[in-house]
Amino acid sequence: MLKTKDTAYQKELFEKLKTSVSLKREEECIGACLKSTQWWLIDKPNPTLNELSKLLYANCPIRKKRSAGKKKICLDDLRACLKAASRDKAIKKFDCKEGLHGFVYPIAQGDKFYGYIGACYSKRDVPTEILNIFSAFTDSIIREIEKELELSKLYETIRPRAIALSTVHTVHRLISSTLDLNELLPRIARLSLQIMRANRCSIKLVDSTRKILLPKVTIDLREKKTSLKKVRIGRWAPGKAVKFGRPIKGTGYLAMPFIDEDVIGVITVYDKIDKKPFTTFDQEIMATLAEQAVIAIKNAQLYKEQEKLTIGSIKSLATVLDTRTPATYIRRASFSKITISMGQALHLNDSDLKSLEYAVLLHDAGQIVVPDEILTKPAKLTGKEYDVVKEHPVRGVKIIRHMKALKSVVPIILHHHENYDGSGYPKGLKRDQIPLAARIMAVVSAFEAMITKRPYRATRTIDEAVEEIRKYSGTQFDPKVVEVLLKVVKRKDMRTMLEREIYGKPMPS
Amino acid sequence: MASRCLPKMKVQDAFRSQVHLKIITFFHENQASIDTPRGVSTWIREDRARVKKALEDLVAMEILIAHRATSITGYSYTRDRKLISKIARLLKKPT
Repeated sequence: MLKTKDTAYQKELFEKLKTSVSLKREEECIGACLKSTQWWLIDKPNPTLNELSKLLYANCPIRKKRSAGKKKICLDDLRACLKAASRDKAIKKFDCKEGLHGFVYPIAQGDKFYGYIGACYSKRDVPTEILNIFSAFTDSIIREIEKELELSKLYETIRPRAIALSTVHTVHRLISSTLDLNELLPRIARLSLQIMRANRCSIKLVDSTRKILLPKVTIDLREKKTSLKKVRIGRWAPGKAVKFGRPIKGTGYLAMPFIDEDVIGVITVYDKIDKKPFTTFDQEIMATLAEQAVIAIKNAQLYKEQEKLTIGSIKSLATVLDTRTPATYIRRASFSKITISMGQALHLNDSDLKSLEYAVLLHDAGQIVVPDEILTKPAKLTGKEYDVVKEHPVRGVKIIRHMKALKSVVPIILHHHENYDGSGYPKGLKRDQIPLAARIMAVVSAFEAMITKRPYRATRTIDEAVEEIRKYSGTQFDPKVVEVLLKVVKRKDMRTMLEREIYGKPMPS
Repeated sequence: MASRCLPKMKVQDAFRSQVHLKIITFFHENQASIDTPRGVSTWIREDRARVKKALEDLVAMEILIAHRATSITGYSYTRDRKLISKIARLLKKPT
């Protein structure tokens, strides 16, 4: 008996043989040599007498002349021939009692036997040469068909896996392209929903006490109201997945833990859109997704830690530098806000905004080398003294250049005293030669110097400082940047914050 | 993110273009797939530039969803069951 898999293969093989142009041409050629030959295909190893009888007599030219006894003898002869062909796995001749001739070619592959190709009713005896030629050609036709079937089977097996692999690769690229957890987690949830064809997905991360799962994101595409609920580890599917460190699958949900060295969280998908239950294949795909997600989450968490460390170091450095400068020089949060708002308004990207944020803290770091008597001199500086002050951008760069994280801040610090018309220092750059972030820093730095106390000149009001900045738009400052500063300072929230920091309370309008 | 553009073409229109049809067929047969223009062009054996354009057309028609990140866009099939049924009917129709 052939197994189901083999039966399917046999069916496909015979379908191919039935439509094979090569076999048809071969039959025509051989048929022309033998005259009046009829061809038949037997698609089973052991056909019954009835099946053989139907096949054989459908086209037999002398069937009407035959008596029942002769028919029986003919069938018996053919059966014996089929048996011999299948036993020897070789082509076999047979002779009909009415003086006609035929042969049987067994279709076999290894130890499997599928059926026969037969020829009958030839008026001439079939010469061995013809049999050999038929055998050789048919062998090669069958081998070709077998290869074709094997290839198509391979294609059917590999293609879905290759597509799935490609999906996994695309997802990996999509989730690796961000280091911002706030962006990453919703992205993971959306992609999981798409791949699982589910309606709802939630991601929870283990808290520092390792008792609770903190909800980070829940997306429900049916637009059902979603609430972010804490879950105790060990409760519900997500809690159990984390507790046992293995997937928990139910009819309408699949919870997959995020496992790094320890379990760091869980992703749960709910309700497939086709309303079918989650399968083992879904579980496998989800496990792959979770493996990728956990790497991306860990990277984002590490990046956040690193960023905190960097900003902490910068703040410490700024504090150290501030101890050297008069109290009036101390940075105020409002100037950071103004600078970042201006950067955003001028469409700086996230990385440039980050550099600008660091630059606000460190742009005057080089003043540490300026002697006290110059920094605190309550009168106009001499030429020599001014030359010393002019060195501070270069000195500042020398201080920070060893910190890799501050590499992008260097041009801002170096050029924040360049003037738009080229009259600034240290390089005398003009217009677009000056980095945009440095042009922003120049305006904010000047604005800050005017409205905060400086030993060498009287403090100006915010409005007076704004006027002064406007006056030097196009010469000292980039007009585009000045315009943005004016807009930002005009904002009520910004104005209130500035006034509170400079004067201790908001000024009456 | 899914494109929120209003559909510019009718679903039936997309079936008139060979590339669009091949993409729709690919995603209909592989509904869990998310792939880049490069990946899709490999599966359907069509020019990458043409595929990229067709993918965006299909996003505008809300047949596909675009997942956009800084340096890569992944495309996936719609989740709208009505639209999927409609596409299934159109794909069954003899051309």
